[in-house]
Amino acid sequence: MKNGSMFVAASALLVACGTTNPPAELVQAQETYARVSKGIAAQYKPDEVHEAKEALDSAQTQFEKDGDSPETKDLAYAAGLKAQQAEAEAATILAMGDKETNEKNAQKQTIDSLKHDVSVERSKREDAEKKAAQASSDLARIAAVKQESRGMVITLSGAVLFTSGQSALLPGAMVKLNDVGEALVKGNPESKIVVEGHTDSQGRASDNQELSLARAQAVRDYLVSRGIAQDRITAQGLGSTRPVATNKTPEGRADNRRVEIVVQPSPGGS
Amino acid sequence: MEKNALVAAIGLAFTLTACGGYAVPTDRLIASEAATRSAREVGASNAPQAALHLKLAQEEIAQAKALMSDGNNKRADYVLIRAKADAELALALAKQASAQAAAKKAADQLNAPGNQ
Repeated sequence: MKNGSMFVAASALLVACGTTNPPAELVQAQETYARVSKGIAAQYKPDEVHEAKEALDSAQTQFEKDGDSPETKDLAYAAGLKAQQAEAEAATILAMGDKETNEKNAQKQTIDSLKHDVSVERSKREDAEKKAAQASSDLARIAAVKQESRGMVITLSGAVLFTSGQSALLPGAMVKLNDVGEALVKGNPESKIVVEGHTDSQGRASDNQELSLARAQAVRDYLVSRGIAQDRITAQGLGSTRPVATNKTPEGRADNRRVEIVVQPSPGGS
Repeated sequence: MEKNALVAAIGLAFTLTACGGYAVPTDRLIASEAATRSAREVGASNAPQAALHLKLAQEEIAQAKALMSDGNNKRADYVLIRAKADAELALALAKQASAQAAAKKAADQLNAPGNQ
């Protein structure tokens, strides 16, 4: 800038003295330098800008010495180009930086997209787990459900399912078993199901054994009719061999008369 | 020996005087030609602005050579100042163009739908 005003002053002096105007090459070089020295080159290529400045000063000196001679024009032309060169080299540095940034971002994008895939997988798995949990909580509302080492145990009271001494399902039992069946169909299709019949200790053990098996089978058949695969579900009669309460009180005996549906853990997991 | 040296010195002085006292601008010619070669190698012909300055440099070199063979070393030297500036600018512009193309390519990859 300072040089610019010096230049104007020098030009004015030359004009005042009746000498020549600066050649177009010098004027243009001056303009180019003024632009470049304020741009990106000043930051990224200060040495080159300085060289351009020196070249411009030489052209200026030449002009002061012998006017708009071919040599003045040559030096001015070269000075202008030098300034442009500084600008191009600075732009190159910026472009190389952009390239690096873009490549890094592209890499980050790839990593992010992989992370996204992983999180989609995770949320799918979580959904499946939630569904399974939902299925067991549905069951919990219908009947007493316990997690035991042999699997999930759904206990249905004998009084709800059967008339005393009979193995034909009551209409109310069917409604209840419909809900159980639905939950079991929704649950893990790999798991095996065992329906166990239990009685209290009153009467002959062999009768109790027979009755408990007939009841278990009735429940099993009904569940098969509700969509549980036949090969998943079996029936077992256990008679009074596994009481859950005392057989000395009516309440205890009522608790012992029951059907347990055991959903065994699948080989692949819970 | 001494006499020979003297003759050579006189002969050299005579030559220089005949050429207006201006040395043959060999260094600047070599530098200009080297810069044009580099510019071509970096692909100046493919970038319009670089190609323009490369062409100017080549023309100026040819002009300088003609001036030198006419014995006008001073004019040749100044024309070579232009040639060198043109060739170096062509080189810088060619590098700029290729760096910008590489940056654009990276940006395109970044914004490619397959990479989202």
